[in-house]
Amino acid sequence: MEVRDLHRVFNGTRAVDGVSFTINRGEIFGLLGPNGAGKTTTIRMISTTLPMTSGDVVIGGHSVRERPAEVRRLIGVCPQEIALYLELSALDNLVFFGRMEGLSKAEAVRRARENLELVGLAERARHRVAKFSGGMKRRVNLAVSLMNRPELLFLDEPTVGVDPQSRNHIFDTIEGLRDEGMTILYTTHYMEEADRLCDRIAIMDNGRVVALDSPRNLKASIGDPDEVTLEDVFLNLTGRRLRDRG
Amino acid sequence: MRGMAFFGSRPLALAGKELKVFFRDPQMLFFSLALPLVLVLLMTAAFGGQSRFDITARVVDLDGGPLAAELVGRLEAVPGVTVDLLDPERAERLLEESDIVNLVVIGKEFSERLAAGRAPDIRVRLRGNGDTEGQIVNSYVESIVREMLGESLVVRQVEAMLAEAGLDVPAEEVEARVGELFAEARESPLVTVGEETVGARPEPIAQFLPGMVTMFTLFAISLTAVSLVEERRKGTLERLMTTTLTRAELLWGTWLGNFGRGLVQVVFLFGLAWLFFNVLTPSSFASILLFGVVAVASVAGIGLVIAAVSRTPEQANWIAVFFTMIMTSLGGSFFDTSGFTGVMGVLTRMTYNFWANDGFRRIILKGEALTSPPIVKDMVVLAGIGLAAWALALALFRLRGDDK
Repeated sequence: MEVRDLHRVFNGTRAVDGVSFTINRGEIFGLLGPNGAGKTTTIRMISTTLPMTSGDVVIGGHSVRERPAEVRRLIGVCPQEIALYLELSALDNLVFFGRMEGLSKAEAVRRARENLELVGLAERARHRVAKFSGGMKRRVNLAVSLMNRPELLFLDEPTVGVDPQSRNHIFDTIEGLRDEGMTILYTTHYMEEADRLCDRIAIMDNGRVVALDSPRNLKASIGDPDEVTLEDVFLNLTGRRLRDRG
Repeated sequence: MRGMAFFGSRPLALAGKELKVFFRDPQMLFFSLALPLVLVLLMTAAFGGQSRFDITARVVDLDGGPLAAELVGRLEAVPGVTVDLLDPERAERLLEESDIVNLVVIGKEFSERLAAGRAPDIRVRLRGNGDTEGQIVNSYVESIVREMLGESLVVRQVEAMLAEAGLDVPAEEVEARVGELFAEARESPLVTVGEETVGARPEPIAQFLPGMVTMFTLFAISLTAVSLVEERRKGTLERLMTTTLTRAELLWGTWLGNFGRGLVQVVFLFGLAWLFFNVLTPSSFASILLFGVVAVASVAGIGLVIAAVSRTPEQANWIAVFFTMIMTSLGGSFFDTSGFTGVMGVLTRMTYNFWANDGFRRIILKGEALTSPPIVKDMVVLAGIGLAAWALALALFRLRGDDK
């Protein structure tokens, strides 16, 4: 995936201001930054739901601007919100979104069961999502985004407000997907998560990418990589701390 | 390929999801199915089973004799008539101040003149034209007095005949015997006028059911607009937009879901009316369902328009309630508006409820067939409303530009 000079202006405010980067196949690419840095706006443009003011994104050889329908076949999106139907069971949610991806009912049910197994919720398949804990809802949210077996998966703050057990489960799932060759774009404002999971990281602030490298190289740029943290890197680059840490 | 997908499995799956959510939402089930049923039953209990009128005859008795008492008794025996005996001064004051509009004044010589077989001393005074109540009282009084005068003349005639035959029978005995015969005749009349109602059985519930069904299908489907706007807020709509679902499929699937919900309401409410209230025949139930398909298809499009114009769930909620109340009042769900003319006549005919109520009522109350010209006209207009709403919703969603 190649992001080329991406811009988005809302009522005169530059939410995303000339972002460019490339993500290689099978890589976990981290997009870091505090709330309001432009991470979610960038993901929404890349995932075809928000028109870009200028620039373009090419995924699997298809331009998001010109061929969004082809791009949608290649991507899976796990949004920051719990975008689920709480009145329905976990299985019903997965099957429904699978059908929306064009799967037959039988295929959707088969994949839904596999995905629920993957996120450790097979036993709760028939339970209503409304009764789930925050962490369990996040895991269902992730499982839904895998229904079309995407080549490129967008994970937008997938661990916000979850308990440690669910967080570890989500980490294990993401690492498993990477091992299977899936490309992942991961946004978070938790620096330690990015440090653990990401092969490369772009740090965003005020709509711009202020640094891009592997976690170790980013840390090495300001000191001993075994001693400094990505938080220190952010402080060094922007002159301030992350505005709201988790 | 796109055309095939438009009618394909994804819109059906979307509609299926809408129905699943509907059946698992107790609040929506209450508003859609239980509340209209309760309201119909309450209105039937409150207004059903009444006599055709309920009037009061105000009477001043200046005579005080037995025949005046007999007149009052016979007036009280008329179903739906209540007699209010007033003193003369109060009655005059009430009539002057328009507090009453009719007054029966039984003159001082009423009994004496009637017993003698002469025209009795009685007047019915009306304020203005006395309204319908005064005219009905006047009619009954005139009829009863004629009857009593006729009976008195018969008694006099029998007495004369007995005297001519040289039979010495006391007058009191003649009056008592003839009076008994007339009383028997009144209780078991030789001539009765039968009533026959044309069309389906006029159960009170049938009067209120169509209005309630049209009101609550509109209300429930308007409320589905709230859930569509809510989807935008909680992110499920955006998630749908990242799938391969097209805008046309999304709108078509949502419309199908609305249509399904409305159809569930129509089948449930009219089904109960058929099974438990005996207001429909198998044939009229089939007609109701077919007409209901057209009516619900029309209102499902209206739900899409509300979703397209609303920015927040709260806004959608207010629009849904306001819109339903206006359409329901103008469209005759509470009272008949078919007689409205001029601007009001035009406004009533611009509502979904007017045409849906008209069709449902024609089928239930008049027993009209689905192919009768007025019902065909209702269906054509409803289909037109549905198509216009669909086109408007599509244009508005495109204008918003927050989907594909």
